Amino acid sequence: MAHKTEIGVREQRVTQKTLHSVDETLRLPAVTPPVTYPIETLVPQVRQQTPAVGQRVTRPDGRLHGLGQTRYIDDLAFPGMLYAKIKRAGIASARIKRIDTREAEAMPGVMAVLTGREIPVNSFGPSLKDQPVLADDRVFHAGDGVAAVAAVTEQIALEALDKIKVEYEPLPAVFDPLEALKDDAHKVHAPNSNIYATKVIKKGDIDKGFAASDHIFEGSFRTQMVEHVPLEPHAAIAVWDPNGRVTIHSTLGRITLGRADISRTLKLPLNRIRIIATIVGGNFGGKNEITQEPVLALLSKKTGRPVKGVFTRTEEFIATTTRHPIIMDYKTGVTKDGRILARKVRLVLDGGAYCSWSETTLGKACILSAGPYKIDNLLAEAFVVYTNKTMTGAMRGFGAPQVCFAYESHMDDIAAALDLDPLDIRLLNAFEEGSPSPTGQVLQSVAVKDSLLQAAQRFGWKEARK
Amino acid sequence: MADVTVKVNGKLRTASVPPETTLLQLLRDHFNLTGAKLGCDVGDCGACTVIVDGKPVNACLMLVGQADGRDVLTIEGLATRDQLHPLQKAFEDHASLQCGFCGPGIILSAKALLDEVPNPTVPEIRDALSGNLCRCTGYTKMIEAIQAAARVLREEPAEPNA
Amino acid sequence: MKRRGRGIACMWYPIGFTVAANPSAALVKVNEDGTATLLTGTVETGQGSLTVLGQIAAEELGIATDDVHVISADTDTTPMDTGAIASRTTYVTGNAVRLAAGKAKAILFEVAAPMLGVKPDQLEARDRKIQVKDYPQRNLAIGEVANHAQVVMGQPPIGAASFNPATVALDPETGQGKPFSTYVYATQIAEVDVDDETGEVEVLRIVAAHDCGTAINPMLVEGQIEGGISMGVGFALQEEILFDAAGRQINPNFTNYIMPTSLDMPTIEVDIVKSFDPTGPFGAKGVGEPTAVPTAAAILNAIHNAVGVRITSLPATAEKVLAAIKAKRAPAPKRIAARPRQLGR
Repeated sequence: MAHKTEIGVREQRVTQKTLHSVDETLRLPAVTPPVTYPIETLVPQVRQQTPAVGQRVTRPDGRLHGLGQTRYIDDLAFPGMLYAKIKRAGIASARIKRIDTREAEAMPGVMAVLTGREIPVNSFGPSLKDQPVLADDRVFHAGDGVAAVAAVTEQIALEALDKIKVEYEPLPAVFDPLEALKDDAHKVHAPNSNIYATKVIKKGDIDKGFAASDHIFEGSFRTQMVEHVPLEPHAAIAVWDPNGRVTIHSTLGRITLGRADISRTLKLPLNRIRIIATIVGGNFGGKNEITQEPVLALLSKKTGRPVKGVFTRTEEFIATTTRHPIIMDYKTGVTKDGRILARKVRLVLDGGAYCSWSETTLGKACILSAGPYKIDNLLAEAFVVYTNKTMTGAMRGFGAPQVCFAYESHMDDIAAALDLDPLDIRLLNAFEEGSPSPTGQVLQSVAVKDSLLQAAQRFGWKEARK
Repeated sequence: MADVTVKVNGKLRTASVPPETTLLQLLRDHFNLTGAKLGCDVGDCGACTVIVDGKPVNACLMLVGQADGRDVLTIEGLATRDQLHPLQKAFEDHASLQCGFCGPGIILSAKALLDEVPNPTVPEIRDALSGNLCRCTGYTKMIEAIQAAARVLREEPAEPNA
Repeated sequence: MKRRGRGIACMWYPIGFTVAANPSAALVKVNEDGTATLLTGTVETGQGSLTVLGQIAAEELGIATDDVHVISADTDTTPMDTGAIASRTTYVTGNAVRLAAGKAKAILFEVAAPMLGVKPDQLEARDRKIQVKDYPQRNLAIGEVANHAQVVMGQPPIGAASFNPATVALDPETGQGKPFSTYVYATQIAEVDVDDETGEVEVLRIVAAHDCGTAINPMLVEGQIEGGISMGVGFALQEEILFDAAGRQINPNFTNYIMPTSLDMPTIEVDIVKSFDPTGPFGAKGVGEPTAVPTAAAILNAIHNAVGVRITSLPATAEKVLAAIKAKRAPAPKRIAARPRQLGR
């Protein structure tokens, strides 16, 4: 009898010592503190007003935000939940020769490891399905995920990533979009051309337009890669039920598309997938496609436990989409009083390692590139090229901020050369109700001139004229 | 393991945690007070701002040992069963928060300011918020709300166009 | 020495997807007391879309915003939505919401008509009442009608609808077509101080006049404009992801990726341009992305006005501006082919 107790006590001591941070069972705090908010619910008068349209109505979710009671994905916890982290390639272009996960798998507290070859259909994308869930054979940018780990704590998951050994064979790479355009450039997604989408808008006859112009101006502009930087990083939790249904709580902004992507990559019928994205801390276009969701779902299936993944701030920069840098060349022919007769635009978009939302961005940038101006003779050509850099995707404006910077800087240059007030040259050329757009559409509900005049009035533009 | 005792929102709380645990982890994972957020984990974004002994602090940079024995105010400690804190009410009325993720940190930075400077100028408000990043709002309606809340706390009548 | 300058930029921006179908569906159910629930698949990312959609449903049903509870973003329980993208939510999802509320309202009218002794098309919903057009004294509380509908007539007032903008595909050779159903327009004017000894640019003030059709919630429109301008300031002057020679990001953190703080924001004055688009819900269009579009252009034009240098690449960091000032180059745009010259020369 005494013998048994000794063994029991010794086992217990060893267990506590080696596993103090590796608790295999429930890891939630025992008691959730009470939530404090006013007993009497204050309903703002403005929310009780009819009619409702036009009211400066306050937001019910705004109240929860101010109380700190909004539960974002990282604030949620499920019984037995594990934490997942993804190993990033750190090399811009390579073939993966070998991935050795044995040491990571043997770590106490690591419950599962996942690599690209375990993904049933390892490709996705809003248009071209050229992006892998986890890189399998090839790495196309330094932020590519190459393996994933689910462990009982986030810290253990991060340590396990270091223990995953990946052998790379470095391959040539191309980083500059103008280089990537050349015929002899390294082909990022060989054998396909680096130019993965193009767009043309042709209207009237630009040669005739330039010939009829009193002055022709040229300008070249370039914008940089920036990131959405939502304060809340990408986050998701995957949970399965015994009927083979997976529920994914996610920061995804497009849940219908997300569900379709999960269905495709995991080979599941659509009605076995539930995506819940009720609370998100900012998106700006960067959370509009799946990132880690299929990885978490598979890790959850492997381990039989809910799995949460939250991107680090570094991953937000290197492993999520960014804004397309664009190189923009403009040539505009005007009459001597500043009326635009012809415009030629060439856009080269840095399309990063994968297509993502590039086709949409290309299309919008091209259509918008002429500016909100009446132009009878127009040629706008746009190209997007692969480079071995972070993938470029949807970001607030889809190419519009870039081309607006170009066409409005260009407009001011023209105004300066002709000694015209920048406001006046815009009023002269701006769309009116019924004007044709660059694609020949008859525009309705047009308000360019109204916005110009109203802003100028408010600012005191005429008074401030240097 | 480190044994810590912290007064959180007026109540004494204790925990036994690894010494490298941050105050942010202590609040979020051990006390389930998830108002303070993880935005960068290196003290650059301010989403984890809490008030420790009256001063606004990035909780992700403070180890539990440094928080031991101190007085911590989190967003969950502002409202009472009777009313929202004037900052919370003003932020709601002025639609100062959009996605809300930076909200708890911003409101606590504002509270720390108003506790010291009851009638702050706009530059003083901007300065107090300079360690809190917000991507959604441009800070404009936050500044308006902080001025409105300051007036309430000073027990002044509202401005006609508030 | 600080030099003051001002710059103007205007823009146009489309609502919805380029040509491609981007529908939204919505479901509105009216409870027995006249309050309602709206189910939408859209995702609230902070812009306040759920509040705006609630206002649209409330307006259609003649009730107050607080009477409508909004449920969102669950593929099991809410109808499909193409997503909060391309500034489409107020317009596309808003139209779906309005149509769905209209269908629920039609059931209320059908039930109320005999109770009020008129035909359904003589009725309107206002101020929480179902009343006779041009004779509002004859009315019933919406709660009474809703209760009667469900409990007595066995016709719960519920409506589901979808909406997709009308477009025409673009010709592959010429790009001609109708890619979007509607567009919005805006102008921003920036006032800056440029320190001609350090190149530092301080944005003092931005005046923004934005067209968004009917502003369903002007306070939230202002919030979008202020937020968009902050992204524009960062785009113009600070933000840049930098890569090393091996294609790895050098600054994937807040310490070295510079973006606007409260200290960098100008005073912002917002004007909502009066406009009404008959194809939008109660005349509304959208505003989410346009707010970030003209800001950089306005700031860069203001820099040009202040110190006479044209910065042609973003961001216009202090180093770049100072280098340009030092080079004393106010680049005159290239002038070619003054008239008259013949074609094919």
